[in-house]
Amino acid sequence: EANIKKNSSHAESLALKGVLNHHLGHKAEAKPFITKAVSKEPGNYLVDHLAGIYFRTIDDYPEAAKWLKASIDNGSPNRAILRDLALLQSQIRDYKNLRDTRQAYLEFQPGYRANWTATAIAQHLNKDYNAAVNTLTKIEDIIKPHLTEADLYEQSECCLYKNYIVNEAGNYTKALELLEKDEKEITDRLSFLEYKAKYLVLLGQNEEASLIYRQLLQRNPDNVDYYTLLETALGTSSKPFEYRLKLYEKLARFYPRSDPPKFIPLTFLPSDHPSFEQKARDYVESQLKRGVPSTFVNIKPLYKNIEKLKVIEKIVLEFFKLQAPSLNPTVTVWSKYFLAQHYLYLNDLVKANDYIDSALDHSPTLVELYIVKARIIKHFGDYEKASQIMNEARELDLQDRFINSKTTKYLLRANKVNEAIDCISLFTKLDDDAVNGCKDLHLMQVNWVLIESAEAYTRIYHDYEKQLKDLSPEDSSEESLAAEQELKENIDIFKGLALKRYHAVIDNFKIFFDDQFDFHSYCMRRATPRDYIETLKWEDKLHSTPIYVRTIKGLSSVYWEIYEQQQKQKEMEASNEDKESSPAKSKKSNKNKKKKEKAQNIKRKAELISKVESTKEDPDPLGAKLLTDLVNNANGKILDLLLEYIKKLTTEADSYQITWELAFKLYKENSKYVLALQALKNLDRILKQGQPDKKFKVIAKSAIELLHAAENDPNSPAAIAKVVEKGLQGIFPELSEGKAKFEEIYA
Amino acid sequence: MGITIRQATINDIQAMQNANLHNLPENYQLKYYMYHILSWPQASFVATTYDTIDEDDVFDEEVENPKGDTAYINKGEKIVAYVLGKMEDDPDAEDKTPHGHITSLSVMRTYRRLGLAEKLMRQSLYAMCESFGAKYVSLHVRLSNRAALHLYRDSLSFENTSIEKSYYQDGEDAYAMKKVLELEELIPYKAQKSQENDDLTKSLLEDL
Repeated sequence: EANIKKNSSHAESLALKGVLNHHLGHKAEAKPFITKAVSKEPGNYLVDHLAGIYFRTIDDYPEAAKWLKASIDNGSPNRAILRDLALLQSQIRDYKNLRDTRQAYLEFQPGYRANWTATAIAQHLNKDYNAAVNTLTKIEDIIKPHLTEADLYEQSECCLYKNYIVNEAGNYTKALELLEKDEKEITDRLSFLEYKAKYLVLLGQNEEASLIYRQLLQRNPDNVDYYTLLETALGTSSKPFEYRLKLYEKLARFYPRSDPPKFIPLTFLPSDHPSFEQKARDYVESQLKRGVPSTFVNIKPLYKNIEKLKVIEKIVLEFFKLQAPSLNPTVTVWSKYFLAQHYLYLNDLVKANDYIDSALDHSPTLVELYIVKARIIKHFGDYEKASQIMNEARELDLQDRFINSKTTKYLLRANKVNEAIDCISLFTKLDDDAVNGCKDLHLMQVNWVLIESAEAYTRIYHDYEKQLKDLSPEDSSEESLAAEQELKENIDIFKGLALKRYHAVIDNFKIFFDDQFDFHSYCMRRATPRDYIETLKWEDKLHSTPIYVRTIKGLSSVYWEIYEQQQKQKEMEASNEDKESSPAKSKKSNKNKKKKEKAQNIKRKAELISKVESTKEDPDPLGAKLLTDLVNNANGKILDLLLEYIKKLTTEADSYQITWELAFKLYKENSKYVLALQALKNLDRILKQGQPDKKFKVIAKSAIELLHAAENDPNSPAAIAKVVEKGLQGIFPELSEGKAKFEEIYA
Repeated sequence: MGITIRQATINDIQAMQNANLHNLPENYQLKYYMYHILSWPQASFVATTYDTIDEDDVFDEEVENPKGDTAYINKGEKIVAYVLGKMEDDPDAEDKTPHGHITSLSVMRTYRRLGLAEKLMRQSLYAMCESFGAKYVSLHVRLSNRAALHLYRDSLSFENTSIEKSYYQDGEDAYAMKKVLELEELIPYKAQKSQENDDLTKSLLEDL
């Protein structure tokens, strides 16, 4: 402080003040000091270090990495910076520089095995497999004579990591050789056996491989992969069905309590094979007799084959009519439960409903029956009634969270958000003054409730929008105006809430991404490098998680609505320019209304806020700011915001149809025609999977739209339209015969 | 049934968290699951559905869109049960013998009576003993949870060690239970008590 007073441009003091300001809670005042300091003396390693520390505390990883690296490059003698820098470079996936940083730190502190592992990981991430293996081998040789009991796990994991790298490099001979050499060091026998069997298969040593898969089955006879891999090793996959069946009968004798040896034959036996009916009968009947609730879902994968479906239907109907009556009455109930699901699957809702009602008549206290009943009613379209049925089941077993969750979900589907949150709050933590568990749901990252809430709020404001549209525009009575006003307010409130919940899911994914930070150093010390590498891969595809994609889909439709309203408004304003008086008038009458209802509104809002707050003292509990920020944004900017989200999908979730549909729409509107063309090509590729010659009308329609847009855009060069046309011809050669002809074919 | 049991990976943790949130009142943030997988990768297991590919299956009309359900890891692959296991790592713990602890175990209600909980437990116990040299494993059960008590005491031969007063957030007491681990006895196929075992000497195809 004194230094700054003396010399207000002393860079080191400025930087220090910046960091201190941040830590003392003057967060907004911190950044200007940092910016000023680094612009004054960017070559001062102390200043650079302080800037790095500052950006790290505000989670700006790229800037933090930049300044820490500058500090090292400018000669800082502080080697601890290297360690912090490595974490940041890992976080931003700057693997090229990470490698140098880890190497430099290893040279500074070679006495810790973790630093060797960290260096090997950096080399591995740069695909320098040889260097990585050399680093691991070197430390292994040094440390081997000094290993204590406590180091054995680390030793085992590092050996397996070395093997994992050689495997990735594709050198299976060497991998097998190393694995056998290290066998004594490896305590994780499961990985050892799985790796070994895999290499043996890849090297054509099937006989030996089959023996290992048999050992693996002894360890875990419920892992379906081991059975299929065993068959690969035995070479039986293409043998006659009867032969394979005998093999599985033998395996079923070894493992009578395991499912795969009983189930797998049902997948390969053809539906008209006499053994199929016999085996399917054994399978289904034994589960019905035991009252296994999942009998139907267990067998359902076979339904993709319609002939098998028919055989199973016949089996269960016969069992139900002929055998069940002479058995324990619950067997009849479980059979009806099965048949209800079966007919629900076939969309024969009436039959499904009859079966479940008859089951419920017999056993009105069996929770599972209500779950299916509610689902049938949901398929009839009555969400309200479906949620009531689920709630009846919940009241039968208040201790069970599963049925509570189901009820919550059905209430949300029926747009009863407050009731849903009250319901689930029976199982959440309650803060002292909280009216429900909404904050805990956010804290515990309950994404399924957040997205279901967002979607419910969206349906609710769409309902209000519909009501608003249905209001008679001529009616200017006091009542009508009041109704209009109230509807508008409700639309804003629930639209804001929808945005708020969609963003809550996105925020959780930001947390999931930030969560990895600590593990960039933890895993090296803990010696779990293989799972660390898997974690990096998982984080790199984080935004392909189904629920994230669903969130972006929902959020973007709200964004598009707002964008389209803005466009419409713009058009209206343009045409209204000469008759300026009318909008002002309507505004005035609105103002009057607002004043009158204020007191009542405030109370209503406060009550709502207490129910929907996502954190304590939520600064924007209703998402009102989110909404106004979007609405007031200049036209077009809303699409830029959307682009940030869509980009994550196109890089991380590129195998989904929805990704490219969203991308196409956005790029076309944003005049990025070549990118739109790419999106369309990707969409076409995905739709054509398994049917390469099929032409899709929806693609053709989009192609024409795109071409029209590119050709008629005065701001886009003609060359771009040409590129688009050429590109589209790649998908549709017919296009070269002229647009008219093309439209004729696909219209 | 299209259900398979395998070691949990980092790819499973969101769906594990989802199963936990659906079934149990004790919940954790995702980072705690990451911490388990990245500290004791061998100790946790999941049961998932899998979509079988039928031999005479026609082209699957379903388009490539994800089912936006948190239970799914991949298409057709849904987590229906999990066990989250760890080694005791509290530096203040009295007993320094390496031992495991079951953090959480649950099975979706609609997948009960298949023995999934027991199978998952056997996998986890075997792995803790083999990979980490766990001498015993401990866990807590609600006094009121009769199904779990039956599983641990009768099926897996755990012993009650004590009652911990108000162990749970809502004030309920817990039984502290433990089981001593012996690797040879733990190999999971032994629990099947089958008449016939694979002795790994003869060719499997010999008498087919």
